[in-house]
Formats: sequence, C-alpha cells, structure tokens
Amino acid sequence: MSDAAPGPVVPAPGGAPDPTTTSGAPALAITGLRKAFGPKVAVDDLHLTVPTGSFYGLVGPNGAGKTTTLSMATGLLRPDAGTITVLGTDVWRDTVKAKSLVGVLSDGVALFDRLTGEQLITYHGLLNGMDRETVAQRTGDLLDLLDLRDAGGTLVVDYSAGMTKKVALACALVHAPRLLVLDEPFESVDPVSAANIRDILAGYVRGGGTVIVSSHSMDLVQRMCDHVAVVAAGRVLAAGTTDEVRGGSTLEDRFVELVGGRQHNEGPSWLHTS
Amino acid sequence: MVAHLLRLRFRLLVNGFRRSTWQLVGAIIGLVYGLGLLAGVVVGMVGLSFADSTWGRAVAVLAGALLVLGWLVVPLLLRGFDQSLSVAKLRSFPIPPRRLLVGLLVVGLLGVPGLVTLLASLSTTLSWLGEPAAMVAAPFAAVLGTLTCVTASRALESVGASLASGRRYREVMGVVVFVPLLLVGPLIGIVGGGVMSVADDLPRIAEVVSWTPFGAAWSIPGDLALGDGTAALAKAGIALATLGVLVLLWRRALAVSLVAAPPSSGGTGRSKGLGPFAAFPATPTGAVAARTAVYWLRDPRYGGSLVSLPVLVVLGVFLAATGSDWFLVVLGPLVGAVLGITLCAEISYDGTAFAAHLSTGLDGVADRAGRVVTLAVFSVPTVVLATIVPLVVLGRGDEVPALLGIGLGLLLTGFGVSSVASTRFLMPVPAAGESPFKTPPGSTFKSQLGMYVAWAIVFALSVPEIALGVAAVATGNVLLGLAALVVGVGLGGVLCVVGVRRGGAALDRRGPELLAALRSVQGA
Repeated sequence: MSDAAPGPVVPAPGGAPDPTTTSGAPALAITGLRKAFGPKVAVDDLHLTVPTGSFYGLVGPNGAGKTTTLSMATGLLRPDAGTITVLGTDVWRDTVKAKSLVGVLSDGVALFDRLTGEQLITYHGLLNGMDRETVAQRTGDLLDLLDLRDAGGTLVVDYSAGMTKKVALACALVHAPRLLVLDEPFESVDPVSAANIRDILAGYVRGGGTVIVSSHSMDLVQRMCDHVAVVAAGRVLAAGTTDEVRGGSTLEDRFVELVGGRQHNEGPSWLHTS
Repeated sequence: MVAHLLRLRFRLLVNGFRRSTWQLVGAIIGLVYGLGLLAGVVVGMVGLSFADSTWGRAVAVLAGALLVLGWLVVPLLLRGFDQSLSVAKLRSFPIPPRRLLVGLLVVGLLGVPGLVTLLASLSTTLSWLGEPAAMVAAPFAAVLGTLTCVTASRALESVGASLASGRRYREVMGVVVFVPLLLVGPLIGIVGGGVMSVADDLPRIAEVVSWTPFGAAWSIPGDLALGDGTAALAKAGIALATLGVLVLLWRRALAVSLVAAPPSSGGTGRSKGLGPFAAFPATPTGAVAARTAVYWLRDPRYGGSLVSLPVLVVLGVFLAATGSDWFLVVLGPLVGAVLGITLCAEISYDGTAFAAHLSTGLDGVADRAGRVVTLAVFSVPTVVLATIVPLVVLGRGDEVPALLGIGLGLLLTGFGVSSVASTRFLMPVPAAGESPFKTPPGSTFKSQLGMYVAWAIVFALSVPEIALGVAAVATGNVLLGLAALVVGVGLGGVLCVVGVRRGGAALDRRGPELLAALRSVQGA
C-alpha cells in the first residue's frame, strides 16, 4: 500500500458537519486538567489545544501522564478538575455526543479478543449505533485497508501484537470519528504495518480529520506530526507546530533538553565485562 | 534459598493486606475457621483414644484420604486459592528445579492450610494415648501424610501448568478439572443419605482405602496398634513410594515449566462469518447480546460457572435413589437461583475490554439488557426443563405451576439483582485466556460475600412467589400454585426490568470508576 493507492477509502471523518458545533472550535481543548491517584498527581493543571485538521504528537517520558490525559479526554477516566471539549462539545457534560465524535485506541486495555477480527470491528460499529449494512461495508473496507482480510476469521486472541494494534485501530475508525485519539499506536507494530498505518492516518488528516498520537519515538513524531506537545510530570512543557517546538535541533535533543534526566555515564564498572 | 522464598511469600501476603483490608479480613476469618477446625479435631482425637483401635484407624484413614483429596481438588475449584509463588513468576531467576521444589514445599507447608493440616495430622497422636507403638509412629505418619498432601497439590498444579501451554488445551482443561466435582456429589449423598447405614461398613471401607496412596500413610499407626506390623511396613512402603512418585512428577513438571516459553497464543481459533452477530438484531443491545453469546460458547470461564448445574442434577438423582426426592423436587428453583446470579461476574470477565463499551458511549441499559437477553435465551428453558422433567417423572405434575413460579421468579429476580450488583462490585476472576490453574489477584472472600449478599437480596425479593408456591405444595392447592406462577413471572419480570434500568443508570454514572477498578485488578 502506498500513498497514492486509493484502495478502500478510509471512512470519511464525520459526514456533514454538526450544526451545533462552532466551526472554529479546536478538535480538542483541554484547560486546567488535573488528576491525582491518591497522593500521586498524574496530571497537574494541564492545558492543551489541538487545532482541527492537525496531526498532533504527544511525547513525554514514562509516567508523564500521557495515557492519563488521553483517557480523560476520551471519557474513560474522570478528571478531578478541568474541562475538556471535543469540537466544542464538553466531554464530561455531553458524554455520549462527545464520544460519538472520537475514535479511541487505548494503550493497556484489553479487547474482546474471543471475537474474530471481523466480529470485533462489527461489534464496535454496532455499539456505536450504526446499521447493519454500513457496518458490514465498513468492516470489509477496514479489513482490506489494514491488510487483515485473511485474518478476519481468526480470533483476535491468536493475533500477533501488531495485528492486534491494527484491529484496534480499525475499531477506532469504524464509526468515522472526527477526532482520532491513539495511545501508542505503533508499539510492537512491524515497520511495514507502521508505514501503512501512517499512510492511513495521513490520508485521514487530509480528509479533514484530526489525529492525536502519543509515542515514545521522537523520529516518528518529528516526521509524521505537524504539531507536537512535550509532556512531563503532568504538565505541558512545550507545544506548537513541530518546527516551533524543536526550534532548529532535532525533536529528540529538544525533548531531552526540556525533560532532563539524561545521564552521562556508562553505568557501574561491574557491568563492563572486559 | 528456602528462607528467601519464605520471606517473599510472607512479604507478598503482608503487601496484599496493605493493598486491601478485605484480604486481611478474609485471612483472619480463614485463620479463625482453621483454628476452630483444629480445636474440634484435637478434642475428637482425645475422645477417640478411648475407643477401639479399629475405629481409631478407620477415622484416621478416611479423614486422611479425604484430606489428600481435598488438597488435590480444592485448589482447582477455589480459583482464588493462594498460589502467589507461581512457577511462571519465578521462571526468570536462575534457580535449579531441585532447590525450587524444596523451597515451594516448605512454603506450601507453612501456609495456613499447610499448618492446619500438619497440626491436625499430628493431633492423631492423641488418639493413640493407650498404644505406645502407635503413639511413636503417629507423628512420623502425620508428617508423611501432610507432605503427601502438599506435594500432591503442588505437583498437580505444576503438571497442569506445564501442560497448559496451548490456549485450546488450557480451555479444555479448565472444564475437565471440574469433573472430580461430579464425583463429590454422590459422596455427599452417601454421607447425607445415611451415615448410620454406612457406619458399620466404615472400618471395611477404611481397610480398602488404607492400601491406596490416599490412605496408606494415615494407616500406619493404626496397624501397629492392631499388632499388624507387616501391614504397617507395607503401607509405609506405599506411602513413601507415593511421595517419591509425586516428587518426581513435580520435579519433571517444574523443570519443564521453568524452560517452557511463557504461555502465549497457541491455538488458531478460526470462525467463519459473523456468527451470533448475524442472528441478533443490529442494535447496541443486540450487539452486546451477540458478543455475550460468543463468549458463552468460547470462553471457558463462562461455561465453568455452569459446572454446578450437572452437580445439582447428579446430587438430586442420587438422593432420590436413596429415597428422599425433596432435592429433585426443588431442582428447578435451585437452578433458577444459580443461573440468575451468574451475571454478577460478567463485567469482571470483560476486564479492561469493558473500555470498548465506555469509549463508544454505549447506553448502560443496552449493556445490561444485552447480557440478560443472552442468559435468558438458554436459562429460561433450562429452568423450565429442570422443574417439569423431575416433577413429571416423580408423578407430581400438579406441583409444576408452583415450583415453576418459584424457579422463574428467582431467575428473573436474579437477572435484575445481578444487573445492579455487577456494577457495584467486581469479582476477582481469572483474566481472559488464563487457565483456572492460575490465581486471580484479589481476595475470594469479598467476592463471595458480595455473591451471598446478592443471593440474599434475590431470595428476599422473591418471598411472595416462594410463600405462595410453598403454600401450594403444602396444601396441594393448584390455584395457589397458579398464583405463584403468575406472581413469580410478573414480579420477577418487573424486578428484572427495574434492575436492568437501575444497573444501566449506575453504569452510565460509574462507568469510568468501574474501568479504573478493572484496570487496578488487572495490574495487580
């Protein structure tokens, strides 16, 4: 699959624009978000604005609060404070409507893996209240698009890690969301599949959709995303277009500079065998 | 090494208490229960020392054999049984199997069940107060017997775990494991049916059992007391050989599971088409129902929860054969009560996959209703059959309406109650794809308490139809029976709808909190 190959079409993000949505509203706007687990503050007064039509990268060290933030933005985790709006809809006030606008690929969350790939995508489509014909057509398209056609009849529990990510992505796409929130979509995905997924996401953004991905891979984010936010200790350290944030150096260098914690030694002496 | 494992064991225990007070409460209750049991045993043993030696031996052999059987079966049935030091977790450390075996054996002995077993076994010494030879031999026999218990239990677990590498195999085993339980039914029947009539045969049964690996060790002091030195020697041989074989088996299994690849996707489950998704209506409720149907068919944890049903049937038939048919008469209501409550565990079975329901903004009522629909599709006919067939066979067809009313009432009320209950508390269950050999994290005590509370509520809410039904059976009034049927179905139906609504509302309200709890269970 290449950039040019039209192939099966990605479900176009959200048919007609919702009249109640203010046209200028950002795809995702987070203000004053806060979440603590007991004494540990995971997200601390976080502000983030994701413009509509952007391909937004969220990077940060382990435990920075990326997954927590994305969980709250998709209605999976209740924030302690702060507001989150998706295309002008408050996620925690008008939950059902907000959720219909968002496609989610969560990290560290199981799938209903006793279903076959085809059944799983169908299930997600039906849960979104779509009719049988649309679901069937889109399931077929997505299986082709993600190169899962042959595995469509295999139980998801028997999929490889990369195939599981792909089917999870299909589940996030099936209801043609306007905003796609992907937590670690490239983890344990092979390079070819990763490239295919990148193409699909780029096509989705060109079609008017918005994508937010969290990732540990700075190279990937630098190449793929037009916007990026660096998150650490539950706060946004830098945000803007990728070029603004990296400011001349590579994203990785800029990231290390912002986050700190880089150690310049070669480990204890007993670790050197020679 | 041994001390290390022991310390790890107790560290895990203490940390578990710090995580959850419920676990501590469960452990204390278990301890009190064990001590109470122990006190009873000690008193019994002292009493037994005044009886004939034949009796002393019979009791020691039969109780001991049951103990060994218990050590084998209980861990497989009680899914929350403590196995915090599972081989899989220790695999990555460079420990030779032999030392690991000794370590695990000591750890097994020094748990609450191990200590209670050891002390109870040692207390048999008291029953030989009048027989010096037996009194000397008894502690050794007790230690031998206890070692057999622990080793047998651990060996079976290890063998199971080492064999269970393929998913399909694990799933089949998960169900096969419950077969022994079917044999327990008749046993209970014997005990409950007529201890008196069997009592005279006990020494003879004990004589036979004492020659099997189950009873050999426990029989040694008794044989000495009866002056049969050769038999004692032979049984010591059998007991030692048993222990030896078990240790060898365990060692081999340990060695295998220490090098085996971590259990991963082994099967290649395939399925054509959409299955139940094509059969159920294309609505969110229908989708949930279809998904649940697939899981009832494919996920052994769901089928496993039904394993008590054939046991009930076997027990009922057995009791009827021994002359008391009351159990068979109430089979339908019992099945209804059991089936109605199975929904309690469903969200726990979903695990974090439940996030799919949450992120799609699924209506809570649709979630609840879908699950109830699938369960109802097969449980309503089951209850009807379990009520009508035994009554017709027993020639008590006129009692069908009354008992059907109670059965369906309990079932439908159970749907309602468990629809609400499963949004309130999570049960520690094995994660998807795990074999029942694996331990779910968390305490069984809390979940069982929740289950019992749910059951109590079901029975309390079903009082009208139960009262009418019982009255109908007692008076033989068919009209009262019909009233029970109408009330059971009507009231049960209303409560079911109310439960689905309230459970759905609770799900809409508490969905994120529920997912957070599921995540923490998974991460434990």
